[in-house]
Parts: sequence; C-alpha cells; structure tokens
Amino acid sequence: MLPVLALAIPVEGAALVCGANIRGLNSGLIEGFSFMGHMFPPDWGAFPELLKPAVDTIIIAILGTFFGTIISLGFGLAAASNVAPRWLRRLTRGFIRIERALPEIIILLFLVAAFGLGPFGGVISLTIGCIGMLGKLFADAIEEIDPVSIEAIEALGASKIQVIVYGVLQPIIPAIISFALFRFELNIRLSVILGAIGAGGIGLELYRSFSLLDYNRGLSALIITLALVFITERFSEFLRSKVRLGGALQ
Amino acid sequence: MKQPLLYTLPSVRYRRKVTVFALVVIATVAICIYLGFDPMMLFTEFHYVVDLAGNMLPPNFDQFRTDNHVWWAILETISMAFLGTIFGGSIAFVLAFLAASNTMPVMVIRQVVRFCLALVRVIPFLVIILVFVVAIGLGPFAGMLTLVWSTIGTFGQLFTQIIENIEPAPSEAIYSIGASRIQVIRYSILPEIFPSFIANLLYSFDINMRAALALGIFGGGGIGFELYMAMRVLRYKDALALICFTIVLITIIEKLSDHLRKKVLGAGALK
Repeated sequence: MLPVLALAIPVEGAALVCGANIRGLNSGLIEGFSFMGHMFPPDWGAFPELLKPAVDTIIIAILGTFFGTIISLGFGLAAASNVAPRWLRRLTRGFIRIERALPEIIILLFLVAAFGLGPFGGVISLTIGCIGMLGKLFADAIEEIDPVSIEAIEALGASKIQVIVYGVLQPIIPAIISFALFRFELNIRLSVILGAIGAGGIGLELYRSFSLLDYNRGLSALIITLALVFITERFSEFLRSKVRLGGALQ
Repeated sequence: MKQPLLYTLPSVRYRRKVTVFALVVIATVAICIYLGFDPMMLFTEFHYVVDLAGNMLPPNFDQFRTDNHVWWAILETISMAFLGTIFGGSIAFVLAFLAASNTMPVMVIRQVVRFCLALVRVIPFLVIILVFVVAIGLGPFAGMLTLVWSTIGTFGQLFTQIIENIEPAPSEAIYSIGASRIQVIRYSILPEIFPSFIANLLYSFDINMRAALALGIFGGGGIGFELYMAMRVLRYKDALALICFTIVLITIIEKLSDHLRKKVLGAGALK
C-alpha cells in the first residue's frame, strides 16, 4: 500500500502542473469523437496531389538513412576500443552521447534557421540523428569482433586500412544492414513529423490541412501516412529477415 | 596461343556484390537529383551555419535566474513525461494480459486487443497531438494524453511478448494444485514479470522525455514550446541556453534511469 501512496503524491502534483483532470478528459473525449465525425468522408480528390509529398517523405527518410549509416560507420570506428586510440574513443563516445540527448526535431529547427525551409534540412537532421543510435550500435558491434581474426589479417602484413576493411567492416556487414533498416523504420516516422516543421512532404500536408480546418483533406493525408508507415515497416522487416538469414548462412 | 580467359574474370559472388553496390549508388544519386538534394550544399553554404553560430553565442543563461517561466516550462515537460509513463504504462500492462496467449483464453478478445495495439502503434504521434489539441486545447494536458497513447502503443506489444515468454513450468505447477487463472496470474506470472515491467517503465520515461520536447512544438506546451518560440522570434541566445539545459537534463535522466534499471533487474535476478 505504501508504494502506491508514495506514487500518488507526485502523480497528483504532476497532474496539477499539466492541468490534467477527469472532467477535461470527459469533455475532450466527446469533443474528440464529434471532431472525428467532421473528418469523414476523406477528400478522395486530394489523393493524387498528395502522392508527391508522400514520395518526398520516403525519399527524405531513405537519404537520411543512407548518409547517416555512412557517417555513423566513421563514428563507430572512431568509438571502438579495438580500432581507435583511447583519447579518440573517449571524445567520440562523448559526442555520440550528446547527440543522443538531442531530438531530431530540434536539430531541424537549427537547420531551418540556417538553411531555410526544404527537404535539405530534413535529410541533414535525419543524417545527424542517426549518429547517436547507429554510431553506438556499430561501435559495440565492432568491439565484439573476435580479436583473433583481426590479428590473423595483421599477421599477413595488411596495412591499417586493409585491416579495417577486411577484418573489421567485412564481418559486421549483416549487422550494419540490419541496424540501418531498423533505423529506416524510425526515420520514416520522423520524416513525417519533421515534414510539419519545415522539411516538407506528407507531414506538412497533414499539419497544414489540420491548421486550415480542412479535416477531410487531413483524413486523406492521414490515410496515406498510415499506409506509408505500414508498408515501409513490413518491407523493412522482410528485408531484415532475409539479411539475418544470409548472415547466418555465410 | 589462347589466354585462359576464365581465370581473369572475377568470381560470380564478387560480380554480384559489385552490381548491388553500383545499383545502390546509382539509385541514391538518382533520388538526390529528383529531390534537388545536393550534399555539397552543406559545405558551399556553410557560412549560414557560421552566421547562425555567431548569433547564438554566447548562450543567455541569465534567463534561468530572471525568468521563472522557464522553470515552469521545464516542470511541465517533466510532468508530461511522468504522467504519460505512469498512465500509459499501466494501461499497456492491463492490455498486455488481455493480449497474451497464456493469460487470455478467449481468442477473439486476444485478436481484438492485438489489432488495437497494432493500430495505436502505427499512427504517428503528429496526428494524435493534432487531434488532442483540437479536442482539449493547447497545453501540456494534450501533450500528456499523446504520451499516454504512444506509450500504450510501444509498450503494450512489448509487455505482451514478455508475458508470453515467461517460463511455463511455475504456472503449470500452480495450475496443477487447482489454482484459478487469476491466482496463477497473481502468484506466478506477476512476480516473474514485475521487475522487467518496472525496468521498462523507467526506459519509457527516458523516451517520453524526448518525445515531450518534440510535442511542445506542436502545441503540447513545456520546454519544447519555449524553444520553438525562441527560435521563431530569433532569440537565438535564449534558444541555445535552453538546448544546453535540455541536453544536461536528458543526460541526467538517462543515467538515473539506467542506474535504477540495473538495480531493479539485479534485484529481480536475486529473488
């Protein structure tokens, strides 16, 4: 009983700060349902013109994942204890930690302030956003490589670059692809949200339709977004299952 | 004098690898051109970043002393994340028992709950916050409800998997001495999953803190909103100070959550 009581006090306090109460929730739910009534039926005519923004959203996510993976590989190598010297490892791990604490959307706010609106900021912020997660995952994967295989390649007289390419990167390729695809699923969702802030794409259409009270068009954009997230997720899951199989077979 | 051509050709595997690699590069370049995205722009237009950095430095930390509003915003963000975690986690916990195959015998209910969880997960939180802002109004309450929603989506499925993956032997032992389904859940399943439930709740608080920041921008209130406003009206020095503070806050919460999680899981393993 005591833990429940101890929890009740901060919950009550937090509810006070948020202005959360049951009556508000009740009226909000009624309002919400009547609002959903306004959204139907979807604006069927809007579907063709919403297709290009949807494609833009996917492309922003693909490019962000692609460049992000490449950059994260660099960071992963610099943060792995068996490749990089100690000071570089410390420095890179610190940077990765700071980046992870920074949501992509805030990075985008800065990029919009610097470069203006457009997909450019979206791609760059997704690229930077990859470093925090993929950089750490890659570094951990590299540190787990069996040192014997690296030593064997060194013993053959390979240069430092050859050791990195054949001893370090080659064994973790399945892991790289699998992590990158996982990040891609996340990036699709992020790309929708970043779109509303200034990267363009389906997120912007969604946000704009809701702001202009054009709820029928908003529902069309919502349907396209759901389809987009669902299909890309399934596709990425399918690819990941194939990669894992291929990695196991090699 | 015929050259043994066969030996000079690269192997099939090598050719396939090169083909895949080339296709990926070509596709990337093609969609870069389609979108009008030029990576070089980052370097050619870098002076904009330098200008921005010039406008931002030094960060204005004075506002934390002079402006009580900022502290209120921080409190709002933390409260949003906290309530979202507590309520979302509790609802996800109950739903997980309804969706797990070893606690819910009725298949129809199981499938319905699973379908709802999948639906909740697939809707991006941008849509949820827009709907809640219309229904409830701007402010942290709408942000909190969005966090409840997204926590249910993420952790409902996770808890279901945790419940389904428990060791079946203890439950069967309790069944065999004539316990009811509720008693099995109470005395066998609940004690087993409780540590990992608490650990995931801590993890979810960590995630919700970040999400609460982003939600602020779309009308959820809190520090995210303050930051967005500071950027909009070009008070860059304030914005940078807020960001520095946010990074410190999130790092502390992450460390704390990691530490507590290890403790909880360690205690669970000892039992």
